[in-house]
Amino acid sequence: MIAIGERINGQFTDVKQAIADHDPAPIISLAKRQTEAGAAYLDINVGTAAADQEGTIKWLVEVAQKASPRPLCLDSQKPQVIKAGLSVCDTARGVLLNSTPLNKKSDPDVLNKYAEMAQSCNGSLIALTMDREGVPQSTDRRVEIAAELLTKCMEMGITPERLFIDPIILPVNVPGAQSQPTNIMAAIDQIRLMSDPAPHITMGLSNVSQGTSERCLINRTFLAMVMSHGADSAIVDVLDDALVDMVATVEMLMNKQIYSDSFLKAYRSVAGAGH
Amino acid sequence: MALSGLEIFKLLPKTNCKKCGQPTCLAFAMALAQKKVSLDQCPDASAQARDTLAAAAAPPMRLIAFGVGEAAAKTGQETVLFRHEEKFHSPSLVAIALPDDLSADAAAAKAKAIQALAFERVGQKLPIQAVAVINKSGDAGKFAAAAELAKAACKAIILVSQNPDAVKAALAHVKDSKPLICGATDANAAAMAALAKEAKCPLVAVAADAEALAALTEKLKAAGCEDLVLCLSTTDRWAEMRGLTQVRQLALKKNFRPLGFPVIAFANEGTPEVQVTRGASLICKYAGIVVIDTVEKWALLPLLTVRQNVFTDPQKPVSVEPKLYAVGDAGPTSPLLFTTNFSLTYYTVEGDVEASRVPSWILCVDTEGTSVLTAYSGDKLNEKVVGKAMKAANVETIVKHRKLIIPGYVAVMSGKLEEETGWEIMVGPRESSIIPRYLKEVWAGQS
Amino acid sequence: MPLPAVQESYSGRVNEVTLGGGTRKKTLTIGGAKTIVYGGDRAVTGNRPLIAIDVLDSAPQDWAPVLAEAYGNVLSDPAAWARKAVEEFGADLVCVKFDGIHPDKGNLGAAEAVAVTKKVIAAVGVPLILWGSGNDEKDNTVMPKVSEAAKGEKVLLGTVTQDNYKSLTATALADQHLLIAQAPLDINIAKQVNILVSDMGFPLESLVMFQTTGTLGYGMEYAYSIQERERLAALTGDKLMAAPVICDVGYETWRCKESKADLPQWGDAAKRGPLWEATTAVSLLQSGVDIVRMRHPAAVAVVKTYIDSVWGAK
Repeated sequence: MIAIGERINGQFTDVKQAIADHDPAPIISLAKRQTEAGAAYLDINVGTAAADQEGTIKWLVEVAQKASPRPLCLDSQKPQVIKAGLSVCDTARGVLLNSTPLNKKSDPDVLNKYAEMAQSCNGSLIALTMDREGVPQSTDRRVEIAAELLTKCMEMGITPERLFIDPIILPVNVPGAQSQPTNIMAAIDQIRLMSDPAPHITMGLSNVSQGTSERCLINRTFLAMVMSHGADSAIVDVLDDALVDMVATVEMLMNKQIYSDSFLKAYRSVAGAGH
Repeated sequence: MALSGLEIFKLLPKTNCKKCGQPTCLAFAMALAQKKVSLDQCPDASAQARDTLAAAAAPPMRLIAFGVGEAAAKTGQETVLFRHEEKFHSPSLVAIALPDDLSADAAAAKAKAIQALAFERVGQKLPIQAVAVINKSGDAGKFAAAAELAKAACKAIILVSQNPDAVKAALAHVKDSKPLICGATDANAAAMAALAKEAKCPLVAVAADAEALAALTEKLKAAGCEDLVLCLSTTDRWAEMRGLTQVRQLALKKNFRPLGFPVIAFANEGTPEVQVTRGASLICKYAGIVVIDTVEKWALLPLLTVRQNVFTDPQKPVSVEPKLYAVGDAGPTSPLLFTTNFSLTYYTVEGDVEASRVPSWILCVDTEGTSVLTAYSGDKLNEKVVGKAMKAANVETIVKHRKLIIPGYVAVMSGKLEEETGWEIMVGPRESSIIPRYLKEVWAGQS
Repeated sequence: MPLPAVQESYSGRVNEVTLGGGTRKKTLTIGGAKTIVYGGDRAVTGNRPLIAIDVLDSAPQDWAPVLAEAYGNVLSDPAAWARKAVEEFGADLVCVKFDGIHPDKGNLGAAEAVAVTKKVIAAVGVPLILWGSGNDEKDNTVMPKVSEAAKGEKVLLGTVTQDNYKSLTATALADQHLLIAQAPLDINIAKQVNILVSDMGFPLESLVMFQTTGTLGYGMEYAYSIQERERLAALTGDKLMAAPVICDVGYETWRCKESKADLPQWGDAAKRGPLWEATTAVSLLQSGVDIVRMRHPAAVAVVKTYIDSVWGAK
């Protein structure tokens, strides 16, 4: 499972404070700890508070990539912020741009912009199955948008191996949203059949439990369910041991990792490196 | 491997007319990819779409049959790169060469020798399935004569010549035996295809590498030959092994139709040792037909055993008939051992008992084809099972003594077995290879 | 027509392990495959496989005549045996098999084993494999001394198992040797042994994996498939399964009926035995094996010819 470590995000108090104080230590610590825990990418998100988003992302990128050999996942809905991050990013180790919808009312061309940036540095792209109408509820509409995303990205030279489709999970405590997990799993089943090789499937896992009780339990259970349908990535808290144990167990049960009596330990020693 | 959703979508009219019952062509394409609907539901699908989809649904590697009656042979229809993914389906056919530059007597003798070859081990027959007549002389008449003689081998026939006149002459003699014609090259494609089509025989496409083979099979298909076998003519051994793997990968992983055929490979040059080791590597690595030259029994046995091993079904343990077996001239005072009916276990024990030269009885107990330890831990082997087997075999009338030798790994069964049967339980060695020493020292050493 | 690309590269690879050091006249590197067997050109499919010839620490009592005759009078002289194996029979490596220390065989002691080790080190310049008797108690006493006697030579020490790994792993660490990790035809146990050894601080990159080998006709396909699965695991990034692989062909082959029995329906026994061994070796090579331990020189010659024909003469 291609784990994208979510912790370096300005929404968390410690990161917000570090940004405000221009203090690299907490960022370095999070980068190192997430790397040790098996993150394949480190998500970098300036949060909403920072005034100078472009300057902040540059700083976060420089600090994080010095502290960890892992490629970064630049997380912003604003192309100019992504561009700023890219300007100081060591893309030779890989980079993941997070993320773009099919189109937006305010920016019909947004997919092209993100795809161009990804293509220019041979990076990967997370594309959301939503469009100007918003987040689709039905399986079919998610599948349709996924097909369009896949086709358009392939036309721009982004091969399926460098594309991560995010079917967008909403919090289950939002009215009407409890039908979404089932619809998402059905959509994943179909997206896996769209091309050979199929694109990756990722999602912001913690969204499913935003504002609920039992957040960790809901998160890891939902991840197990979507993994069994073929989701091979997620933006997660890799420091959650129970979640990583669950991922190791699912991969073993799906015959992706050879069983050994110490399979939990074995998974941690090989996870992260080599994607 | 079937087409992906988007590949199917590209074949559809893209009008979203909804006549198929789906809201969009994409939805219909995805449903097709999941095999939930049939293309028939789209009244506007083009003929090309139908053909492409039908081709994609066919098995990735064709099944090719040649030879008739008892000599009928088949190869192909493989589904995996590695046997552990599922299993290999068509055990490689081993063909022995009959060159046409032998004297008539020598050729007749070799054909007879081929016909007489019969091997069996661990209860399974290991057949030689074909004879390959080789146009070494370059002469059509000699080739035809050799083909006629080859019939005496009573095996499927492979005609090896790139000379259409020679093949035509040979076909006049053996057409009814439905030989495999080997083969067509880019140069002789038209002539060979015509011969194969007329004789209704499968045809080998011969080229130096995978790319050339793909072009050639398309040419032959256009000429009306669909039953094809592939042959890599390179003399570079690495390129050959690489080519065989590449062909299998393309056929199975990419559903690449021009290479969706079984392969024939030649290992008929050099000493028997060279032929057999090459042949073994070809059997392991995807050759559906292997041609060798030797008829030496000591050479053929290992080669056929490679085939026997590689083509076993990893998911089905091979088992032996559970009953009482006599090894050597076993009598009423001979030792009695028991073991399980997992083929590997039974034949290992039998081999070691035989090597001991102590005539013995082996009671082969039905543990559903599992080994001693597996059977014991799964409770398929316990004192009741053994007791029942002893009664069914009437061991009390076969041996005068009342001693049973049990496998060392289940020594822990001794107590319960003694209770169940009333016999004295002797714990044999754990390793089967120690059985000869055990029988000679422990059994024979009893006063 | 252009062919579709098949996947020719993976995220992982088989480790490269270099054997030999110290007074060895040369070193040899095994492993390094970046794809499946024959999955690409020679540059990515790893180093050529090697042949190790067995040299026993004391004269074998139960060898088939066909095998014993091929060695003549060197069977009681490990140094002469090793020289013959390298100079006459072309072994890439010599594997000293310490059967003599087994309580059931000769029950020789550490002193004798150390003497044999030193003699063989002095006799030949090829990298060495030093393989215990399989009796845990005896091996744990003797093999550390053997390892010490070979310190600096970077030998391949065998073997560690799930139930007995601490002594030899500590020894290999101390004397900076390579290690053979053994499993009983079980891929899960193989992985576990590698974890246990790695937990002691032994580098995974110095490991070679060994599955107890079934000979042709007696379960060869089990080791064959396990070894194919081990290769796939290495290629898909499982660093715990990325070690190169060794097989024991000589010992296993000569135990079976088909190598020895004089049966007319099976042809000339003198030719059948060596060919049974050679065929087992060549078949196992197809599953991605890096070293084969062999015994009969005629079999070794045949396998060498095969390896040269495919990988090119050295």
